Amino acid sequence: MSKKAKKRVFSILWKILALLIGFFVVTFTVYIFNLDMKLTAAIEPWLLKHYDRIPRDTHL
Amino acid sequence: MAKEIGADRLGDLYIDGGKVRKRREWRGLVDTMYDYSRWLKIMTILGKFVMKPRNVKAMFRYRWMANYLAVPMMVDRHTQGLRGEYLRMCHVEQDLIIDDVAKLLDNLFRGDRRIGNDTEFSKKVVLVDENEMTAVMMGFPMLKSLSRETPSTYVSVLLNQHAAEHYIDVAQEFGLAGDVCPMPEAEAGVSIDDDAPVLGACAIQCNTTCDGSLLGNGVISKRLELEDGIPVFQLAAPLRHREDDVQEYAAQEIRNAIAFIEKHTGAKWDWTAYFDCARRVNIATRCRQEWLDMNRTDYPQVFGSNLALYTETNYMAICGRIPAFEKADRELTRLAEKAYNARKRAAKEYRHRAIIWGVQSHFYMDFLVWLLNCWGIVPLTDMLSMVSTRVLAEEDTPENRETAIYDMAWLTENMIMRNRTHGGYKVLLDELWEFCEMFNADMVVLWEHMSCKALTGMHGMFEERAREKGIHLVWVTHDLFDPRIISRQGVRDQINNYMRTVMREEPLDPSLEILHDEESW
Repeated sequence: MSKKAKKRVFSILWKILALLIGFFVVTFTVYIFNLDMKLTAAIEPWLLKHYDRIPRDTHL
Repeated sequence: MAKEIGADRLGDLYIDGGKVRKRREWRGLVDTMYDYSRWLKIMTILGKFVMKPRNVKAMFRYRWMANYLAVPMMVDRHTQGLRGEYLRMCHVEQDLIIDDVAKLLDNLFRGDRRIGNDTEFSKKVVLVDENEMTAVMMGFPMLKSLSRETPSTYVSVLLNQHAAEHYIDVAQEFGLAGDVCPMPEAEAGVSIDDDAPVLGACAIQCNTTCDGSLLGNGVISKRLELEDGIPVFQLAAPLRHREDDVQEYAAQEIRNAIAFIEKHTGAKWDWTAYFDCARRVNIATRCRQEWLDMNRTDYPQVFGSNLALYTETNYMAICGRIPAFEKADRELTRLAEKAYNARKRAAKEYRHRAIIWGVQSHFYMDFLVWLLNCWGIVPLTDMLSMVSTRVLAEEDTPENRETAIYDMAWLTENMIMRNRTHGGYKVLLDELWEFCEMFNADMVVLWEHMSCKALTGMHGMFEERAREKGIHLVWVTHDLFDPRIISRQGVRDQINNYMRTVMREEPLDPSLEILHDEESW
């Protein structure tokens, strides 16, 4: 393998590694600080208001 | 922030009056990374689910779908304080159940006339009650057995304690009695509120457990048959299910149900598929018995909500029809045996060995984990997990085909809850004390579901027998689906009061004794 090709392979590997580390840091932060649930808890009231506006055939 | 079991103050994770917790638990590096990897898996399942436009459409159509925003938190509640094998057992079960419910939702919305409207698919769907054995579907692999009530009410309340309140109120606004079980009442409320998916070639309803169930079935079947054009079969299983003279009638009901499904779907009963399912049911029974045997020793392994929630799903809703549950049964047994051989325990101290009897407060299913973490009370087994252990015929022979009808009838009669709340005082009262002896239990935590007349009627008899036998009997009153009547703290207070005033004990984790989680999911 030529020096240029080796450099290219390393560069790709570094990018993949950086992406994986970035993915881990972001998702683990979301996980440990419960940010996913904090976000969905903020969405819920908006959704409930939306359901109240839907016309329904409510009857026995 | 500790690796060791019981070293953390778990109550510190709660936000007073908040819907969610401050942060997730740090369980040491290995267990935290494991829990994180399972969280990623759950997010992947949810991500795949919302990738389908019809599921997003359903999210904006059905009010109960909002509860599914809380899926990861449900897992967090059940895994609280768990480490090692206990954490892994919980994830094996919960992740599989989440995947199964996601598939159920996807199928419901595919056939739903309002959402996916796949009419060819809908012709292959048989609707079943949530509170019903799916045994009659074991020989119909070409059909889809789907429950609308499972995701709209049953799972919803597991996810969000307030999920059923809207539907209970709707049912009562239309004059339905307020003192029946809020579970069928909420199911009827979903139907009245025009919030149930509409699909299927036909439906099977069962005279499940009580007056409330009959009330709900009546309201739902009227809409299904008269408005949606979906014929409904009423599978009326006998109540005195231990009596020999009712078995022929029960078997005939199964034959009639199968004939009804064949008539309305055009499908033919497949004996090969049935016996395959029966074999898997037997494996699940053997595994469950092995777990219960371990729970009789000083080193119980599969107990609490790890036992209760999984048994409810696997025994009743799956009934051998999904091979993935066989794999989970084996994996749970492997983990349990590993922990048992190493003499491991799930909490830092086991103070009391308890049988949990009665029908649990559905809005607080993680109460069993709380019992262990807060007071060191080990919930060895619960009433809903003490179901049939009969071995089903699993070889396809002419004689076994006849036996199989009786096996399906037996399973239907012995569905979860029904096998204890019906069948007389022997199954509800007498067998409890036999289990106390068998499991060497010194305590019974007795759920008093205030709307369940079959249970509350025996209040005095339970007390009388507990006094005779010298067993600590702790009553915990609740209203199943409605935390407005008795809150989660109201449930906990009944234990706290008993433990402090009668037992004169201090909690293992005082931070869990009083929690302001009224607004929590």
